[in-house]
Amino acid sequence: MIGVLKSLGATFGTMLRNPVTIEYPTVHRKVPERDRAFPILLWDYDIDEPFCTGCHACERACPVECMTVTMKDNPKYAEGKSKRRKIIDQFFIDYGRCMRCNICVEVCNFDAIAMNNTWAGHELSTEDRKDLVLDLDQLLSMHKTNDPDTRIKPWVPS
Amino acid sequence: MAILWGVFGIDMNVGLDAFIRLNIVVLVMTIVVMFLIYLERKFVGRIQMRLGPMRTGPYGTLQSFADAIKLLTKEDLRPATADSLLFELAPFVTFVPVFMTLLALPFTAEWGVRDLQLGLFYIVAVSGVNTLGFIMAGWASDNKYALIGAMRAAAQLISYEIPLILAVLAVSMVAGSLNLRDITLTQRNVPAIVYQPLPFFILLTAAIAELGRRPFDIPIGESEVVGGPWVEYSGIRWSIIFALGEYAAMFGLAVLGSLIFLGGWEWPFGTDAGWGLQLFLIASKTMFMILILMWIGATFPRLRIDQLMAFCWKILLPFAFLQVAANAIVLVYVDDVTAARAVMGVISVALLVAMGWVIYQVTKQPSREERLGAMASLRSTT
Repeated sequence: MIGVLKSLGATFGTMLRNPVTIEYPTVHRKVPERDRAFPILLWDYDIDEPFCTGCHACERACPVECMTVTMKDNPKYAEGKSKRRKIIDQFFIDYGRCMRCNICVEVCNFDAIAMNNTWAGHELSTEDRKDLVLDLDQLLSMHKTNDPDTRIKPWVPS
Repeated sequence: MAILWGVFGIDMNVGLDAFIRLNIVVLVMTIVVMFLIYLERKFVGRIQMRLGPMRTGPYGTLQSFADAIKLLTKEDLRPATADSLLFELAPFVTFVPVFMTLLALPFTAEWGVRDLQLGLFYIVAVSGVNTLGFIMAGWASDNKYALIGAMRAAAQLISYEIPLILAVLAVSMVAGSLNLRDITLTQRNVPAIVYQPLPFFILLTAAIAELGRRPFDIPIGESEVVGGPWVEYSGIRWSIIFALGEYAAMFGLAVLGSLIFLGGWEWPFGTDAGWGLQLFLIASKTMFMILILMWIGATFPRLRIDQLMAFCWKILLPFAFLQVAANAIVLVYVDDVTAARAVMGVISVALLVAMGWVIYQVTKQPSREERLGAMASLRSTT
């Protein structure tokens, strides 16, 4: 009998509290800094080229083999602007296979790859699986933006 | 407006007058039902720290319309082995009595569909019929769950009918009338809940059971009988039962409770206050009743059928009888109205406390020491 009154009080008190619901598609919860969505490539703004040298370290380490990497001679090295002798030529990541294990980020010698820690990395649904295979431009585009405010702030292991 | 005024006063053909009044009631009932569905989802959502519907219209206000469109356009399924006539009649047998109860309710002092001299008797008599609809649906569906649910519904609805009737009878004894308008008019200064709190509590409990709402939703318990008598229903038939029937019944019982116990349109401003204020009063009191029903429904888990029956027959019914008997004795031997009501109020509060004590004693858990003692005595005997 006392429990009945107590429980009525409990539900009434709960009714007065703020709802915890986040109206997801319109309102996004803030993701943590180390949130792991899908890997992206980072852009070296000092020299205006990707960090990635196409060394295949991530490709060999990838447990699900979702990456395809080719390298080429760096034209900027020939001009003397860059220290990188080799540079990435083509880079494909199949987001449909990637299991977001973070190993590519761990093994990268140049801090050239990072996990996307924004909501854009989570909302990737498409109508065709082929659209989940991203090429070099798409992988770079998320960090290579002119506006530093909207640019993602990558977390890379030090 | 012209039509409204015609209904309110001017001489008119009786049939036409009744027709217009019926249409107004149907319209109001539909709007109220849609609002109640929205309200329940919002209110229960807030109790569970959710927002409730937010997407259909501003703050989800069009959710009921979306539900209605979805239900009305759904396929109307019927099992091949169903008794087709009974199956199709059952929703109407459930809903029509509910609608008929609305016809005897005075929504303001002057306005109701019909002002019946035996209005309370009529409501009690008519609302008992919808048990038949449950049985018909359970039988005709040719489904074990439906039949079990129908049997449970019959047992529950018939059992709780009695405390409900005794509770309203206690108040109508004080008022000396079965006319709902007269009962409300006797509450000019003090609403009946002040001197009849026990019948109010009994009415509230019995109303939850009559409506088949949580925590007394044993006939339609989804986890036990997957919807009870309404397992096989879908689309428009289901919406007649559930949306219209259940919520219109809740509305009707809440209006009845607010008229009988909370002073309806009479207390605290009196009949002279004008029909706008009267409508506001009755609407707010009805809303109060409905919110209490929803609050209780959102708080408690479903009871077991034997607990439900025991609560009705062993606790509610004796105390309702005691209250009726006490009222009768007081009304015979105390002539002064105010004194009689004061005595009845004291008796009713005492009975309410006694009932709470009985429930406390019955549902009390043994203390830790008692349980340990029982364990120890068990061990020593073996």
